Amino acid sequence: MSAPILWIVVPFIAGVLILLFLRERTSPLIGGTVATLLAFIALLFPIDTALLLGSVSIKISPSIEFFGRSFALTTADGPLLAIIYGLSALWFFGTEASGTANRFVSLGLMIVALLTASIAVEPFLFAALLLEMAAMLVIPLLVPTYQKPGRGVIRFLIYQTLAMPFILFSGWMLAGVEASPGDINTTLQAGTMLGLGFAFLLGIFPLYNWIPMVTEESPPYVAGFLLWVLPTFTIIFGLGFLDRYTWLRTSPQLSSAIQLAGIFMVASGGVFASLQKHIGRMMGYAAIAETGLFVLAIGLRSTEIVNVTFLLLIPRGLELAVWALALSIIKRKAYSLKFSEVKGFARSYPIATSALILAHLSMAGLPLLAGFPARLALWQELASQSLVLSFWALFGMLGLLIGATRTMAVLVMVEEDKAWELKESWMQMTMLGLGVIGLFLLGMFPQILQPFIKDLPSLFEHLGR
Amino acid sequence: MLIFISCLLLFISALALIVLRVTQQNIRYSWLAAVGGAALATVSVFVWQTQMPFDFVLPSWKPDTLFLNPPLFRADGVSWPLALSIVVLTLSIMLTSVARPSIANSLNWAGGLALGGIGIMAVTADNPLTLLLVWAALDMTELITQLIFADNSTNNEKVVTSFFTRALGIGLLLWANIVSIAQGSSFDFQTIAPGSGLYLVIAAGLRLGVLPLHLPYSSESTLRRGFGTLLRLISAASSIVLLTHIPASSLNSGLTPYLLGFSIMAALYGGWMWLRAPDELTGRPYWVIGLAALSVTAALSGNPLGAVAWGCALVLVGGALFLASVQQVWLNRALLIGAWSLSSLPFSLTASAWLGNLGFFIPFVIAAQSLIIAGFIRHALRPSGRDTLDSQPRWALAAYPTGIILLLVIQLVLGFIGWDGALQIGAWVQAIIVSLLTFGLVWATPRFRILNPIRAHWVNTTASRTDSIYSGVWTLYRVFGRISKTINITLEGEGGIMWTLLFLVIFVSLLTQGLP
Repeated sequence: MSAPILWIVVPFIAGVLILLFLRERTSPLIGGTVATLLAFIALLFPIDTALLLGSVSIKISPSIEFFGRSFALTTADGPLLAIIYGLSALWFFGTEASGTANRFVSLGLMIVALLTASIAVEPFLFAALLLEMAAMLVIPLLVPTYQKPGRGVIRFLIYQTLAMPFILFSGWMLAGVEASPGDINTTLQAGTMLGLGFAFLLGIFPLYNWIPMVTEESPPYVAGFLLWVLPTFTIIFGLGFLDRYTWLRTSPQLSSAIQLAGIFMVASGGVFASLQKHIGRMMGYAAIAETGLFVLAIGLRSTEIVNVTFLLLIPRGLELAVWALALSIIKRKAYSLKFSEVKGFARSYPIATSALILAHLSMAGLPLLAGFPARLALWQELASQSLVLSFWALFGMLGLLIGATRTMAVLVMVEEDKAWELKESWMQMTMLGLGVIGLFLLGMFPQILQPFIKDLPSLFEHLGR
Repeated sequence: MLIFISCLLLFISALALIVLRVTQQNIRYSWLAAVGGAALATVSVFVWQTQMPFDFVLPSWKPDTLFLNPPLFRADGVSWPLALSIVVLTLSIMLTSVARPSIANSLNWAGGLALGGIGIMAVTADNPLTLLLVWAALDMTELITQLIFADNSTNNEKVVTSFFTRALGIGLLLWANIVSIAQGSSFDFQTIAPGSGLYLVIAAGLRLGVLPLHLPYSSESTLRRGFGTLLRLISAASSIVLLTHIPASSLNSGLTPYLLGFSIMAALYGGWMWLRAPDELTGRPYWVIGLAALSVTAALSGNPLGAVAWGCALVLVGGALFLASVQQVWLNRALLIGAWSLSSLPFSLTASAWLGNLGFFIPFVIAAQSLIIAGFIRHALRPSGRDTLDSQPRWALAAYPTGIILLLVIQLVLGFIGWDGALQIGAWVQAIIVSLLTFGLVWATPRFRILNPIRAHWVNTTASRTDSIYSGVWTLYRVFGRISKTINITLEGEGGIMWTLLFLVIFVSLLTQGLP
């Protein structure tokens, strides 16, 4: 068995089979189990290392060839695969509680498989194509059957599609830059192309307006999944670029530009979040601010780039899962997610509203919650480089905190003497409860992530050294 | 390890109460478990004295290269009196709960014990990371408890606002450390950069409601005497502890006199409102503001021990007064020991309060302190409005006064032993002036109308002047909201993509201008 077959082909086929043959009730269980198994295999069986189980020797080979292209997953990819499939399992298990359609699990598995392929493919520029394919698979999830796609979805597709030629073109130019590093014009052009490609992919300021639109018009659980999965792989793809090209890694101008873009996202995401009156859009802006933190981390002139980035990546999956699940539960009851519609929901849905607020506060970096350790690490690294950047990063988080406070104030706004009720189902309470426990565990003991992230710097040859 | 044992005793007792609640309904066992756990924890805090100073270190966060300081707790001559005050208050609340109608609710006791444990962790926190974590735990506990018991929208809104204000304090502590790291120091109190000191004062002041002056707590909360008292006082003590970590060098800043001015204004305001409050529970927010402001003032005068002394007084003296819900003449008179503790006379609890340099501000500090003591005496000696123990069993008749007396005894004991501020002569001349002025105020209160208590329904939790400031902020917020809406409509409308691309071009042009 080869690693790409196990972590790319198997989940993709599992996704297709679930789509064709399984019913709505069983698909989350099967999809979640497949993802969990893949996560455990990634964690327990090192790639390209022979393991003796009694008299049987097992070895997962690292690569395969496909139409002249190579797909390779090395030993260092193991923890990353465990994280990705572990978090995917969390999303799939939560599907039933969220009331999302069954194709979420099947298409979700296919999307994760394609995105895994994007980090395995060689030459790595083909990752742009795979990212585009994954973005296209998201569309049927975002648009309910027999409905016209909303403006946000269309804009999402336009921007993701625009990203692909920019990245492919920049890859071609970068080869030229490597050949003649003194050619400033080519370097500038390649850098601009690359920057634009990633700006479209990640939704860098001002290209992020599709995010709040999608979180407003699409099912919250799907939107949350999209906001977790695409930026995560795009960031890993981006780190690959930085690792591969010395001039990108060592250019102080590029680093400043990345940090400037990141800080714009954090600050503007925070400010807009604080001014929203729709709790779905607020999640969108919080995701934007957090993507800004990733961008800031990538722009760090420090050996800790990889550690800080992955420390941010893992809690994001959990935060968005909890937040999106809570929003889905609330949306099933409320006409829309506007403040006026969800007023006083805390008394009827205390678990869902608490989980929502905690996920929001975690993204705002409140101590004790999952988002805090990563933000603390980032602030410390930023502080030693620029106090101004640190200030704006904190300012963005303040915006998210204001947003959380406003949401809380609306959700607890009740008529006098309204009694407390528990309207969530047992499944919903269990999933949200587990998520909230996870938020606190990651916030109090971030060292539990250490087994997963300690070997991740070896994914990159030059970064963080 | 002893810190861990004390906290564990309180947490285990809380857990035992929950288990008892589920398995048995006999309230006496629950009460015994609560009192037993709190008493053992109190004894264990006294045992700290045998090993002080000592540290308790939790496993450090990983990766080590990013998180240099592990969560750390320290018992020393500064944190011990605050820890003792908190644990004794917890025990007193359990003992006096026999006189309160909420006796049947053992979940309240469990919450109180857990809160006591968190409070001890807060006052022993020895680096900013630890303090940030414990502050967040306290704030979330308060938020959840208050929201469960709040009965209308207005109170809910106040609870949320109070949480936000305290979260801002957390943000400021974080900012202080960012500034410290930017100046080449590390993320701990011992090596914190001088430039960060004033941010620490503001962070503590913000959480206490002193800088800027605001009332973070609602006086209309359902949780009034028992759990409510614990929540208010522990929360305040956990913020005061930050004042003991301010580096002296940072107080040379030009901003210090202004901050001193603001904190003394807050002390005067708190003292005045406390003196005129219709009863001690309505006046409790002003008590907290007044003493917290004196604590901030002591810290700004370069005397961290004074901040600790005011913190202990806030918990012990305030605790005794707020828990005294039963009409007993001899107990009311015994409460006056609190006036001694607040007087800063030699060998009193607050004798070390004014060892710093107050300069021009001394008369104002004297006035504020006198107002607070006079208010305390008035509330302690009030003739009516309290419950009786007549209908209670015999054991309750013994348990209730024990709880109050315990707080009074500890006030006296801390004046003589156990910490760095014990056995101090202090600024005795100033203390005598304070005492004389206090007697004058107590004499004048029933005689001059301006000093008479105001009616309960006139006491507003937010002063009108601060209200106008906050409504100004709210107007500004709404203006930003409208601007944001316009931007959103533009970018998300039909021509949104064109506008976005235009912004993108401008953004890229700006960036490329910076390149060589």
